[in-house]
Amino acid sequence: MKKLLIILGISLLVVNIAYAGSVKENCGCGLGTMVFQENDGLLSQICAATTNGIFGNQTFGITSGTLECDRPAKLVSPMASKFVSENMDRLAVDIASGHGETLETLAELMEVPVEKRTEFYALLQYNFSKIYPSTQVTHVDVINNISAVIGQS
Amino acid sequence: MRDTYGRYGTVKSFVSPLFFVILLFIVFFFAYEVKADNSYYANLLVKSALAKKLHEDSYWWTLLHYKKSLFGIESLIDDPKFFLSAEGKYNPKSELEATIRAFFFRKNAEGADHPICRFIARYNWLKEKLHIDDSKLPVAECEQFDRLIDQLKPQSASIVFPTIFMNSPASMFGHTLINIETDYKSKLLSHAVNYSALTDESKGLFFAVKGLFGLYKGYYSILPYYQKIQEYSDISQRDIWEYRLNLTESEVKRMVMHIWELQNIYADYYFFDENCSYNLMFLLEAARPSLSLTEQFPLWILPIDTIKAIKKSELIDTVDYRPSRATKIKHKLSCLSEKGQKTALKILNREIESQAILNPEIKKDEQIRIIDLLIDCTQYEYAKKKLSKSRYQDILLEALQARSTLGQPDENLYNIIPPPQPDEGHESNRLSVGLGIKENTFFQEVGLRPVFTDLLDTDYVRNEGAQIEFGDILLRYYSSDNKLELEYLDLIDIVSISPRNKFFRPISWKVNTGLNRKIMSDGDESLIYRLNTGGGMAFHNNYLGLYYMLMETELNLSGGFVDNYCLGVGASAGLVKSITNSWKCHLSAKQIYFELGDTHRASELSLLQNFRLSRNSCIRLAISREKVFDFYQTEANLSFHIFF
Repeated sequence: MKKLLIILGISLLVVNIAYAGSVKENCGCGLGTMVFQENDGLLSQICAATTNGIFGNQTFGITSGTLECDRPAKLVSPMASKFVSENMDRLAVDIASGHGETLETLAELMEVPVEKRTEFYALLQYNFSKIYPSTQVTHVDVINNISAVIGQS
Repeated sequence: MRDTYGRYGTVKSFVSPLFFVILLFIVFFFAYEVKADNSYYANLLVKSALAKKLHEDSYWWTLLHYKKSLFGIESLIDDPKFFLSAEGKYNPKSELEATIRAFFFRKNAEGADHPICRFIARYNWLKEKLHIDDSKLPVAECEQFDRLIDQLKPQSASIVFPTIFMNSPASMFGHTLINIETDYKSKLLSHAVNYSALTDESKGLFFAVKGLFGLYKGYYSILPYYQKIQEYSDISQRDIWEYRLNLTESEVKRMVMHIWELQNIYADYYFFDENCSYNLMFLLEAARPSLSLTEQFPLWILPIDTIKAIKKSELIDTVDYRPSRATKIKHKLSCLSEKGQKTALKILNREIESQAILNPEIKKDEQIRIIDLLIDCTQYEYAKKKLSKSRYQDILLEALQARSTLGQPDENLYNIIPPPQPDEGHESNRLSVGLGIKENTFFQEVGLRPVFTDLLDTDYVRNEGAQIEFGDILLRYYSSDNKLELEYLDLIDIVSISPRNKFFRPISWKVNTGLNRKIMSDGDESLIYRLNTGGGMAFHNNYLGLYYMLMETELNLSGGFVDNYCLGVGASAGLVKSITNSWKCHLSAKQIYFELGDTHRASELSLLQNFRLSRNSCIRLAISREKVFDFYQTEANLSFHIFF
């Protein structure tokens, strides 16, 4: 029993460390940050090793902000900020092409009224180079830049 | 207390009134004491629960994951924290009793870990069944759980099925998740519930063996769905099917209650049966008590079988298809002219800049198609680790800048037609009967294949060839000699034929091991053990179909060989062609030079044809000729297959 507890304790610790690692990497993250590594072992998809503490901090609804991360502009909720930080590449593609599920999700999180969405998407697409000005851009920059673009329009 | 009550009844009729009054006083005194800590009420509830036989109720069994086993009743949960009674894992009755009593435990500081909140699904069900008066309970509300519900806002649920990606053995069977959808419209913001083994290893034999024998602990977890999409669509290149369930809001809430109970609770994880897909079935049963999904399965459970079971239980509302990045690239390629493909390839190889596309001579829609393809390919190569991060960032940003100047296309450029729904394919087990002729001898045969698909399958894959078979067994009866023989037993038979093109360069490969019959040096057949592997490449052509070439190695073991073995290398080639939607052919040739052990050559030429009759039946015609040592053998057979 004691042995079991020790093993359990260690395994939980490992998960926590792994998790902490991934959070750090996601912080202020830029283009090309991969949340997951390919997991290509035999049968591994039946038992992908991506377990996290259930309802933990990584759970979307519970998080009060991207842990340890800088908080970007006022306009955006912590949830929107977390979403942008974890979808940097997909969002960049959607903004550049003026449509897409990730962009729609951002609009919903930013509470852009439905009737103004088409205009919102076009505006962001037109200003893509202002929103993603360099390869070094972080999610905080992206959110601030989006806010600035909206502010100017 | 129950005992005192009983004695009171017998005492009453035999003793004097004075004694009776004193006794009555004592009884009331005790009753008062008991009321103070409510165990009197708890006793009443336990009595009533047992009288109602709630410990035999199927919902109690669902919440505690009880199953009948060889030795009685056992819960599939292995974590002692999950049970309130020391015998809880094996005894539904004592667990029920302990659970009810635990509701009356004194309240601790926050009430968070109080059994009422910790096991909130049990509590809510028992409250309804026993009409528990919650004013008598020490805990009035579960703040943490209420906050969770408030933030999750569970509305509806889906079963998510990332399909197999044929070229990756890791994804051989697929996987399932349950999505809990919130009041957001975007699906990306739903919560993906996953059951998986907790392990740092995901490779190698050790991992597989541990998985087979339940040496890993399985935990439930929840992640944002967008992360799972990135994992499956963008990195593993697996298409995703989303089956929206017709669960009501209150049913989904009940499911969340049960997930809450399972947090940080483990069950030993078994690849074949107590796996990701099976364990999610408990969550659905918890949502809708009338379901019985966990009872329906045999010894092994494939994710697709759970989807079929859910469909049979009429839980599925709508179905959506989410193509992977690789699927999108293939589709975008097919939308592009040969010239456009070449331009995209040049940019990808950094021979020209992305900006070069913004050439007024190229039509705008074509420009968009080229850049979109380029963007997908760049991300694909990065996910495959063929590009460094900085190079990826440079190419991507440049392409996106070019794309952002092009606005919207004039019409919808891409319309990916979903492949056949995986739940509409045939069942996984196959029973075969057939008859045939080998040289001049007639035979009848019967075979059984537990899982799951082969190269001639018309259902699961279109342009890719996949064969995944385990434990395929065939018996033959020769009436002339009146003998029954094992023709073969394939323990593992996996073939993955993945076509190459300008953009994708996958390796095709095969692994086959098991027992089969082979002509020996004396010309007689004998049962041998065989291990055969191969690797090579394949291409697809609209007229020819899928054609492949593999380099092969083969090891045979048998007492009938000189030195008991032979080891050889060789090659095979083949052509797989769908002539119509229900008629598929496979022509193949193979030659192996056994140079070690019992030296000889073996060559084989075969033509297999499959005709689909209905969803769950087909007939096959096979003709083959082989030469082993110096003996020729020709065989033809016709067989009927039924899937169940």
